[in-house]
Amino acid sequence: MENEVMQEQAKRVADKILRLEAYTEIQNNMGSCVLSYNYRRPEEVLSFFSSREDATLEIADEGVFRGKDIREAITYLMPSTCEPGELMDIQLASPIIEVAEDLETARAQWVCPGIGALPREGEAPQAIWNWGVIGADFIYEHGSWKIWHFHWFRLMKCDYQKGWVQDTSLENRPNIPVHPLAEESTYHNPYTPYSIRECIPMYPRPYKTWDGEDWMLKKKKE
Amino acid sequence: MKKRKAFEQLLQELRGLPPDKLADWERRLDLQLSVWEIRNLRGIFYRYHDDQHIGQKRRELYADEHPGVDMKAIRRARLLPVVDSLEGNTLIHPLLTPIIRVNRENDKARAVFTSFGYEGLSIHREPPMAIWSMGYIPGGHIRQNGEWRILYGEWQRTVKADREKGWVHDMQRSNCRPKLTKEEDRKYLGQYAYRKEESRKPVPAYPDENTWEEYPDEMDTAWIHRNLEDRRDDGV
Repeated sequence: MENEVMQEQAKRVADKILRLEAYTEIQNNMGSCVLSYNYRRPEEVLSFFSSREDATLEIADEGVFRGKDIREAITYLMPSTCEPGELMDIQLASPIIEVAEDLETARAQWVCPGIGALPREGEAPQAIWNWGVIGADFIYEHGSWKIWHFHWFRLMKCDYQKGWVQDTSLENRPNIPVHPLAEESTYHNPYTPYSIRECIPMYPRPYKTWDGEDWMLKKKKE
Repeated sequence: MKKRKAFEQLLQELRGLPPDKLADWERRLDLQLSVWEIRNLRGIFYRYHDDQHIGQKRRELYADEHPGVDMKAIRRARLLPVVDSLEGNTLIHPLLTPIIRVNRENDKARAVFTSFGYEGLSIHREPPMAIWSMGYIPGGHIRQNGEWRILYGEWQRTVKADREKGWVHDMQRSNCRPKLTKEEDRKYLGQYAYRKEESRKPVPAYPDENTWEEYPDEMDTAWIHRNLEDRRDDGV
């Protein structure tokens, strides 16, 4: 009887160790991915993503890129070098992370303050604010936690001087053709003086195993 | 990259430990898991803050079974509109700098977070004001039916300033109905807010490793102001 109790306890402890290691690795990996993005190193950004065909990347209203198209998306959506005066600096705050009971997948969210500087012809770069929420699924494969689904939900993107109420010119993409590989955006609701905030992405909750639920777009606050 | 040990391999190693050592490891791991859960809990609380659909059902985050939590007052406050409509209103308060102390029994916790955030405020459908909003969140937490819940969590304002004017030249009052006077606001969330003519007070204190020995009652909030006993009158 005592042996059974010990066995159960050993199982619990092993599970808890792996769970806490997952928590730390997921935070480290997303932090490293964000730094790679900030430093304009696209191959490094890509290295944090799963190579599965059902992996996805969605940035604001640029549409959804899937599987091998994620490589194309990363080179399309971010510069491949840091040009003089160009800056994007995203940081991670408010982590909400749930690792599945089976330790195979995880759901995570971070609120991200950010700043940037956009180069302009013949004048100083434009300083901007660029805040968002990252919603991400991770999958454990080949010994590490990889980003499986990534969605940048824009909160606001605006001129530094004018601020987020006065300047809405950067909230939506310009009216140029979307990338031919992009599927339709699933959600885009940045701040404007006329928009209504809601709790999307939804926060992740504890779960047993991956069930395909589109938890980020759930409306029920449960 | 170091591969995680397979579950079976870990299990093998743990089975070799004496029972008291295994129990001690589990206790220590449980405290770390609690820190994680409390970060999640507070993160969810501040996601709700931006979503101001009053009256809408949402998961209860407060310890609604604890006698020290005035759920009647909390529920009443949740139904009060502080703005006429939601367009243009936003409250973004990401949490940073977590300092979390869980008690030895793993059923109570204290924490301080900082927040660096922004807001949009339109009370009567006027064009919104863009606001910088920064502060500290000292709070208490308790396990209720195995789940961490909030006992209290005070927003302590450092800055609430019109974006254009900045925090040296502007201080906005908390948006309440009826509107607060300057003195009322000072007694409410603005007590330790930045003022250019005053020295900063060291509040909230962070919960240190002795917090649960010195303030064992989970509803005791004196820990937040413990630094004030040491202050000289000249503010040094």
